[in-house]
Amino acid sequence: MINSPHTVQGLDTHGNTNTMKDAQITQQLQQWLIAVANNRDKRAFAQLFSWFAPKILRYGVSHLNSSANAQELLQDTMTNVWKKAHYFNADKGAVTTWVYTIMRNASFDMLRKMQTQREEMLSDDIWPLVEAQTAQEGEYTDHLMQKEMKRYLSLLPDAQQQVIKGVYFQHLSQEELATQLGIPVGTVKSRLRLALSKLKQKMGGKL
Amino acid sequence: MITHHPSDELLAAFTQGELTASLSIAVAAHNELCPVCQEKVEKLNAQHAQMLFDTDNETVDEASNDIQEVELSWMSMIDDITDDDSQSLLVPIDIKSVQLSYDKVQLPRALSNVSLKKWSKLGDVSRARLELEEEPIRSSLLDISPGGVVPLHTHKGFELTLLLDGSFEDDMGTYHAGDFIWLDKSHTHSPRTTDGCLCYAVLDDAMEFKEGFSKLFNPIGSFLY
Repeated sequence: MINSPHTVQGLDTHGNTNTMKDAQITQQLQQWLIAVANNRDKRAFAQLFSWFAPKILRYGVSHLNSSANAQELLQDTMTNVWKKAHYFNADKGAVTTWVYTIMRNASFDMLRKMQTQREEMLSDDIWPLVEAQTAQEGEYTDHLMQKEMKRYLSLLPDAQQQVIKGVYFQHLSQEELATQLGIPVGTVKSRLRLALSKLKQKMGGKL
Repeated sequence: MITHHPSDELLAAFTQGELTASLSIAVAAHNELCPVCQEKVEKLNAQHAQMLFDTDNETVDEASNDIQEVELSWMSMIDDITDDDSQSLLVPIDIKSVQLSYDKVQLPRALSNVSLKKWSKLGDVSRARLELEEEPIRSSLLDISPGGVVPLHTHKGFELTLLLDGSFEDDMGTYHAGDFIWLDKSHTHSPRTTDGCLCYAVLDDAMEFKEGFSKLFNPIGSFLY
C-alpha cells in the first residue's frame, strides 16, 4: 500500500541537481497535504506519513531519549498533521517547515511533561500555528454571551464545533459547508442537530 | 521603538525548542511585539526544517530489510489516525488582562495558559510568580508603581527582563515596551519608572542588593527572585 520513501515518483533519479530535486519534493509534499486538507485523502496521508515517519522517529530518539517516546511523538505529530492540514498555508512556507513546527511543539510539551509533571500544553501559545484569532471577535454583539458560548462550544467534539462555527459564525449554507468539508449534506445536518441539542442542554435552555 | 533584542544564539535555541518554558515565553512575548525577530525566527524555522528533513542525508541503503516490518506497524498507526475524520478547530485564545498599580494591561498571548501565583508587594514592586516549576529558574511578572525604584542590585546568576508595558530607566539607558534586557553579575543597576511599568523577569539565582536598607534583604535573597 505505502510506497517506501525512496520509491516515490521522481525522487529516485540521481542525475538531478539538488535544487531540482528539492523543488520536486516540495511540490509533491504540498500536493499530498492539500489532498489531505481538501479531500481527507487517506492515501495521500499515508504518503506523507511514510515520508516523514523515519525523520520524526530519528528526531524523537535524539530529543526524547527512548524509542517509545519517539513513537509517541510520531503519533502526536502525524495526528496533528491529519487534523490541522486545513490550516496549512503554502504562502507562509514549505510543508517541511509546517511539519517541523508541529513536531517541535509536540516534543516541547512532551519533554516538559516528563520533567515537571505539569500537564498544560504551552507550545501552541509560544509557537502559534495560526495567527491569533482575535479578528473573529465582534461577530457577536453580546460579549458575555460570546464568552459563555465559546466555552460551551469548546466542550463539543471537534466535528460538531466545526458545523456550528461554519453555519452560525461563518454564515455558510449547509451545502457550502458540506462541500468545504468534503462530507455529505446529510452528515452536516445530523452533526448540526446533535451539536445544537447538546449546546441547549449545556446552556440550560438559554439558547 | 525596541532597541534590545534576544541574541541570535538565543533565537536559534528558541526555534529548536531548547530553551526552558520561562525563556521560551520571554522570546515569544518579545516576538509578539517585534516583527524583526519574528521574521528571523521564521527563517530559522525553515532552515532547521530543511536540515532535519533533507533527504540527501539518507542513502538508499537505509530503506533496508526491516522497512517492510516497520511499515506494518505504521499501517495500523495510519489507520488509527485517519479513523477519526474530524478536523480540529481553533479554540479562540483567551488573552488575559491584569489590573496593575497604574493601569489595566493585556498580557502576551504566550502567557495565556500559564497560571500566576498571588501578587505580593515589597516596596514599589508587586510580584506574581508563574507556576512553571523550573527551579532554580524562576519567572515573575513585576508591576512597578509610578515613581517606583528597585534598589541598586546585581545578580548572582542571569536576569532577563522583558518590558511588557510602560517604560523604565537605569544607569545604562531608557527602555520601552518590547525591550529584551539580559544582564548578569557584571551589571549593577537600579531601575526606576516615572509612570509605572510591567516587566516579565526570569532569574536563575538571587539578586544581591548593594546599598542601604535593602542590603538587609540579602540573607533572604532566595525568597525574593
